[in-house]
Amino acid sequence: MKDVDTTQVYPRDPRKTYGLMELVKGTRPTVGLDEDTVYAWPHLLVRELVIFLVVAACLLGAAFLIDAPLEEIANPNSPPNPAKAPWYFLGLQELVSYSAFVGGVLVPTVIVLGLMLVPYIDRKRVGIGVWFARERWLANGLFLTFLVVMVILIIIGMYFRGPNWGFVLPWEATTGH
Amino acid sequence: MQAPTPTPDKRTAVGMFFESVYRSIFRYGRLPRDGEGASYAVFNSLFLHIHPVKVAKHSLRFTYTFGLGVIATCLFVFLTFTGVWLMFYYFPSATEAYGRMLDLRSAVDFGFVLRNVHKWAAEAMVFFVVLHMARVFFTGAYKPPREFNWIIGIILLLLTLGLSFTGYLLPWDQLAFWAITVGTSIAGYAPVVGEPLRRFLLGSDSVGQEALIRFYVLHVVILPGLLSIFLAVHFWRIRKDGGLSHPADNDTPAIKE
Repeated sequence: MKDVDTTQVYPRDPRKTYGLMELVKGTRPTVGLDEDTVYAWPHLLVRELVIFLVVAACLLGAAFLIDAPLEEIANPNSPPNPAKAPWYFLGLQELVSYSAFVGGVLVPTVIVLGLMLVPYIDRKRVGIGVWFARERWLANGLFLTFLVVMVILIIIGMYFRGPNWGFVLPWEATTGH
Repeated sequence: MQAPTPTPDKRTAVGMFFESVYRSIFRYGRLPRDGEGASYAVFNSLFLHIHPVKVAKHSLRFTYTFGLGVIATCLFVFLTFTGVWLMFYYFPSATEAYGRMLDLRSAVDFGFVLRNVHKWAAEAMVFFVVLHMARVFFTGAYKPPREFNWIIGIILLLLTLGLSFTGYLLPWDQLAFWAITVGTSIAGYAPVVGEPLRRFLLGSDSVGQEALIRFYVLHVVILPGLLSIFLAVHFWRIRKDGGLSHPADNDTPAIKE
């Protein structure tokens, strides 16, 4: 950069903590030029647009192929057996069937508080920016176990629970009213 | 630095007028062709508030994020559009609501598509928000300085579940009625606060008209409003925390990729 003009065009104002450092000739921003970066337009915005369109296409495809469920009109006098919560709460409902306190209070509280505390407990700055970094085997292992257990509980609640929350095999399931 | 101004030429007055209107909206003319133009394109647009002018190549790699956060955001956008559209047909009344569902199937043009898109986008949003959280965890992206954005993320997950749960009741069919009866009874198991919380949600002892109007207001105003605010903070913090997580954020020399 031999043609950099180093004369002080704007003398530093002692009241300010910042100032104009120098004037550089050029046609574009030179900050971080040698970093491993690209322009947000088009590289990032085009990718986001593509994802947006793919999501739109998938939703429309699903909407034409599969109808959202609609049962008979709500009847407070005719409870289905079993009555099931939405799928994402079925893990909790499965736990509630063993203990109302564990499934309804203890586990949800521990999950939410535990998740919120994670970044304040696990503060060591290693393994960032890499999938399944070897240094993070314990944290990743614990979280993976948590996810797998939740998925298993949800699958049990969805497919293996019949009348009176008894165990049924999915291919033998009948929903009583 | 200044955006290049168009050189005066032989355009007509009408052409100049449209040019000035166009310039008032898109301050930097046409699609950018060089680095300077690309900078201005972001710098002079709404997207500056979401994206920096330049982003790390690492954060653009599809196999790093799988676009999960963007997908979840897109789903929220589609849910907002289809949700507002559905509001033209829906009536939050225990005697009316179910009939409106039947109307969407038969009487409203493409009503079934509208309802189906809303339903599947809602299920997908819960799914993709959880996947996004898993991605952030497995890449260690919650570590300093991004601790607080992880917490905002947990709040967004809870709001997503709340939106899905409150929406579940609105069709007022057997599935809706009993799922909400079971779901709110789980909330009722908490000691001391459980029963008052359940009654507060339902507005009554059991699921009925009071519950329907409460769930409706939560579903169409309060929860989407809160989610939008937290989403804005979530995006803003991504930029303030230096973009997506990156091996350069490690204290130790970057891990070989």
